[in-house]
Amino acid sequence: MSDFKIDLPSAKFKNKATLTSIVILLVTFICSYIKFNPLVIFTEFHFLQEFFVEMFPPNYGLFYENEGVGQSILQTLSMAFLGTIFGGFIGFILSFFAANNIFQIPFLRNFSKSFLAMIRVIPSLVVILIFVIAVGPGSFAGVLTLIITTIGVFGKLFTEVLENAEEAPSESIYCAGASHLQVIRYSIIPQVLPAFISNLLYVFDLNMRAAIGLGIFGGGGIGYKLYMAMRVLHYQDATALITMIVFMLLIVENTSNFLRGKLLGEKL
Amino acid sequence: MIEVINISKTLPNGKKLLDNISFKVKKGEFVGILGASGAGKTLTLRSLNGLLKPDSGSVIFKNELGEKVNICTLSNKKLRKVRQKIGVIFQGYHLVQRLSVLENVMIGRLGSITTFRSIFYGFTDAEAHEAMGALEKVNMEHLANNKVSSLSGGEKQRVGIARAIFQKPNLLLADEPISNLDPKNAKLIMKLIKPLSEEIPVIGVFHQPEMTAKYCTRVIAIKEGKIIYDGKPNLSEDQLSEIYGEELSTLALQAK
Repeated sequence: MSDFKIDLPSAKFKNKATLTSIVILLVTFICSYIKFNPLVIFTEFHFLQEFFVEMFPPNYGLFYENEGVGQSILQTLSMAFLGTIFGGFIGFILSFFAANNIFQIPFLRNFSKSFLAMIRVIPSLVVILIFVIAVGPGSFAGVLTLIITTIGVFGKLFTEVLENAEEAPSESIYCAGASHLQVIRYSIIPQVLPAFISNLLYVFDLNMRAAIGLGIFGGGGIGYKLYMAMRVLHYQDATALITMIVFMLLIVENTSNFLRGKLLGEKL
Repeated sequence: MIEVINISKTLPNGKKLLDNISFKVKKGEFVGILGASGAGKTLTLRSLNGLLKPDSGSVIFKNELGEKVNICTLSNKKLRKVRQKIGVIFQGYHLVQRLSVLENVMIGRLGSITTFRSIFYGFTDAEAHEAMGALEKVNMEHLANNKVSSLSGGEKQRVGIARAIFQKPNLLLADEPISNLDPKNAKLIMKLIKPLSEEIPVIGVFHQPEMTAKYCTRVIAIKEGKIIYDGKPNLSEDQLSEIYGEELSTLALQAK
């Protein structure tokens, strides 16, 4: 017999069994800690059933009767659009200051990186609460919130894109006597442009969802309409609004995916 | 004209990468630098345009005003001025894939236009026409509007040469320009570089002794950071085996 040690199947099984037991114990403990009882769904099923019955049929007449609905959809789209454009622009600029291969002052670069990381960890629902108190409820607070979250998400994504840009073309441009800014303009930006637009479309997609959620917290738009319908117990209106929202998100997501696929396909 | 005087470069562990390299190249010369892998060929070439700072020695180059400057000691700003007059062709082409062929050629002159104009306006129509002239010299004018990413290796290297021509350099450096190419394209590229050496000195690093024998006017061989041969491009079997050592057998196989 050789001295070579192998991982014995019995030892492996012991490890797996221990790990599984720990996970099960942990889940059970946490469920009892916050009094989360999954079985309630089955025992109290009739409540959910009654609620669903009240939600149907959806009141699509709402879209004709109430002009505000169309406007609120437009408002949500506009919020997501502006949040993406302004936040994307600021995140774009900041990411250049955070990319290792572009910005050469380590102290300021780490500052930019930390700044982007910091605004990324604050949940958007916390940001909207602050803005609603500071500037009052409505789409202005919503757009400001989206700008802040977009800077965080987009800045992080785009910093990575910039850091993955190829070194070689830049070197050849430096060799022709070009300045740092010229290298950014003629080597880095052409390289990252498709990823820039693709990320922007992706962030717009995220912002659409966020804009609806923010509406509930005072950001205006169709999210606010849905919240109001629920509060005054107009469940059939709410169902109509929910289907409308899902439909709208599907259109936005598919358009964004289609355009991104085209862009990245072209990249070769 | 470019003159290299006693440049040396040593690693922190004491290994000598370049050891007292000296040579002088004039207009009309096409110098091929030969040597085994890791001998210091590319490092020598990179120190000629300031990409590598040697520990000691100097690289003297006549700038656009006819003044002699030492590339090794220039400030960044002055180095950029000098680099406007040094064209470089690379083994991996180093082109911007997403830009068109014409734009890649015009990039060669970025050093001589202001940063402000290059960012907010770009190149002029006159510059575009002139760049087309450079592309005609390498027979690539019909592909001017194509993206570089759609070109073959040989075509990319021709764009690299057009970029160097458009730059109007006083010196042309070529870092293994034909190593990634098939024999037919390699010959084509050498034929395009050769006439340039009538106007300006051309220095290239090569891995193909049969190519330097055919096209170069002079060969410098480097071994372990030292120049061991500097003279006529035709090398004998013995000289080649001294330059390449064990690598010779593989090279001979490649040649067949």
